[in-house]
Amino acid sequence: MTSALGRGSAALLDAVLERLIPEDEHGPGALAAGVPRYIEGALERGGEPAVERWEAGLAALAALAREVAGGDFAALAPEAQDRVLGLAAGGGEAAFFAELRQRAIEGMFCDPSWGGNAGEAGWRLLGYAGPRHVWTAADQRIVEAQPAP
Amino acid sequence: MTDVLIVGLGGAGGIAADVLTRAGLEVTALEAGPRRSAGEMTLDEVRNDVQAWLCAPKALGELPTWRTDPSGEAGAAAWPLAMVNGVGGSTSHYPGLSARFHHWNFAPRSTTIARYGASAIPAGSTVADWPVGYDELEPFYDAVEHAIGVAGRAGNVGGERHTGGSAFEERRMRGYPLPPLRRTGWTELTADAARGLGWHPFPAPAAINSLPYNGNPECTYCGFCTANGCYRDARGSTDATAIRRAEATGLLRVETGARVLRIESGVDGRVTGATYVQDGRERFCGARAVLLAAFTYENTRLLLLSRSPAHENGLANGNDQVGRHYMAHVTPFAFGRFPGRRLNLFNGTWSQATCVDDWNADNFDHAGLGFIGGGLLAASHEFKPIAFAGFPPPPGVPHFGSGWKAWLADNAQSVGALSGQMECLSYEDNRLDLDPRARDPYGTPVVRVTFRVGENELRGSAWLAERQEEWLRAAGADRVWHAPGPFVEARHCYGGTRMGDDPGSSVVDRYGFAHTAPNLGILGGSVFPSSGGHNPTLTLQALAWRTAQRLAERWDDIAGGAPVRVAKSI
Repeated sequence: MTSALGRGSAALLDAVLERLIPEDEHGPGALAAGVPRYIEGALERGGEPAVERWEAGLAALAALAREVAGGDFAALAPEAQDRVLGLAAGGGEAAFFAELRQRAIEGMFCDPSWGGNAGEAGWRLLGYAGPRHVWTAADQRIVEAQPAP
Repeated sequence: MTDVLIVGLGGAGGIAADVLTRAGLEVTALEAGPRRSAGEMTLDEVRNDVQAWLCAPKALGELPTWRTDPSGEAGAAAWPLAMVNGVGGSTSHYPGLSARFHHWNFAPRSTTIARYGASAIPAGSTVADWPVGYDELEPFYDAVEHAIGVAGRAGNVGGERHTGGSAFEERRMRGYPLPPLRRTGWTELTADAARGLGWHPFPAPAAINSLPYNGNPECTYCGFCTANGCYRDARGSTDATAIRRAEATGLLRVETGARVLRIESGVDGRVTGATYVQDGRERFCGARAVLLAAFTYENTRLLLLSRSPAHENGLANGNDQVGRHYMAHVTPFAFGRFPGRRLNLFNGTWSQATCVDDWNADNFDHAGLGFIGGGLLAASHEFKPIAFAGFPPPPGVPHFGSGWKAWLADNAQSVGALSGQMECLSYEDNRLDLDPRARDPYGTPVVRVTFRVGENELRGSAWLAERQEEWLRAAGADRVWHAPGPFVEARHCYGGTRMGDDPGSSVVDRYGFAHTAPNLGILGGSVFPSSGGHNPTLTLQALAWRTAQRLAERWDDIAGGAPVRVAKSI
């Protein structure tokens, strides 16, 4: 939960992030990976204008959830949450949704020193072992998949 | 007082400093950013790519605004525009793809009319021939390649074709100083596929050390090259090459954190130096000649801000030409999935690539295609995790949720990408000026871009996208999809101070000196009369070398009077 945002907005953001990047058979979701922590840092660095934009954007998302699904986003069934997010992505909230999704991706796949990608959960999802200074010729070959047993 | 004042010590200014100090001239460079060192560079995508920390000292606070409608209001651009502020400028964070232009790029108007007729020039386009041709620029291309260290395989040495290099390369006097960057599974796969299509692939020429050069070590393919400084000075950025040589002469004085407010001029129209702010104090540096080398946007802005009695409408803007003929690149981007293969692209550098020039310039017959020009296609390395996850998934795959995660988990290592750089012609309405509202943190107007992507560029970009699809399929992709477009690569920016023989339609002459301020030279992509379909830096550095050499050779005519050192010794 973030502190740059108000309590209600932060709780809504957590719910949205976990729906964008859910915990499932492919590994941890946004919350376990610390994505809210990354976004909190980004908003603090962005200062008042960033926080205000996000408060407004999240309020609009909350209103959209009530309008199309009749309830608080966090309390909706996953399918209803997806419907709200899909409408946000393609409708009047598209710019904010795009920014939110971009920040969520940053938080999921960043260097863990920024607070997100805890346990390198995002990098493991991509099959990426993390940065290193030297890559050899062997590292840059194409590896054919092993034939199925 | 200095002999030559360079405003902006980047890719162009750094080359000029090298040339001028070799000629024995005293040079002062005013650089808005700091001097950075290799030890500050980290493999951190948030810091480098997301926050663009190298652009933070100044450029991020003065981002040009953008509009497509000449009568509309400008707002934030949807794409990056910022240069790097610092010694070395944007060459300290570029991946250094350094292909020379083709003959056609220097004569796009006359060659098009000769081959396809006058009607092939798109309506409203101000596309012009350059007042300099490839053959005249060739020695300067060669000089720059050897000064900064370009790694590549020549395709045409002295008129003799060399296999493995570009089949479309114009004649060069000698080969590259360094062999190409390491070839990889991906670059070989895509090269084989291109050959299978009858195309002519070649290794990307890159200003990166494939072997030690200039006293600097070789590249280790870390995968954090673009948008980052090199952690071991293995890139041919001017701060690691030309500027070091210039400083070693003892003739170059570098002032960092020096933000230029305006270039000053006298009643005769000649420039006298520049006023700048450093450590919070306004200062003046007088000079016999000034070279303006501050990136296309800032070159234009500084001229428009530098009003004087002799230049009431802005410096060198008596004919209202400053800011006109602005161009960028349109960059189609295509993805392919190679099922069951781990491509290992999360490493290397963007210019560790296979390139194709079959669809660039006039290297193919445009009859009936509805456009002129074209662009380079490249199959590159250097995927980074945030950038990759932000790529659009193929149609039908959700953009978030478990379906998206599953797509990433199954395919992230099996996706390859191709980029393209569609040349943009200049048009009457596409231009730069000062934004009437938006200000930088110091209260100074920022540049306003007015740019509509032309039909010619949309058709050309669509054509390139089709070639990308062919190429990916030939390489074995089972799915191919495209990034939504058009995407404008506005860090490849051109025009604003066009080079030409006619003062009525250009700002600088054929050597890069302002028509109405003869001791003011302008360096950078802002002088290009056409954009070309290759990355800009090598060509703008060749032009910078030529302008600086002209200044040194014609010192008395251009600067008027003996150089400082000579004067001091009298």
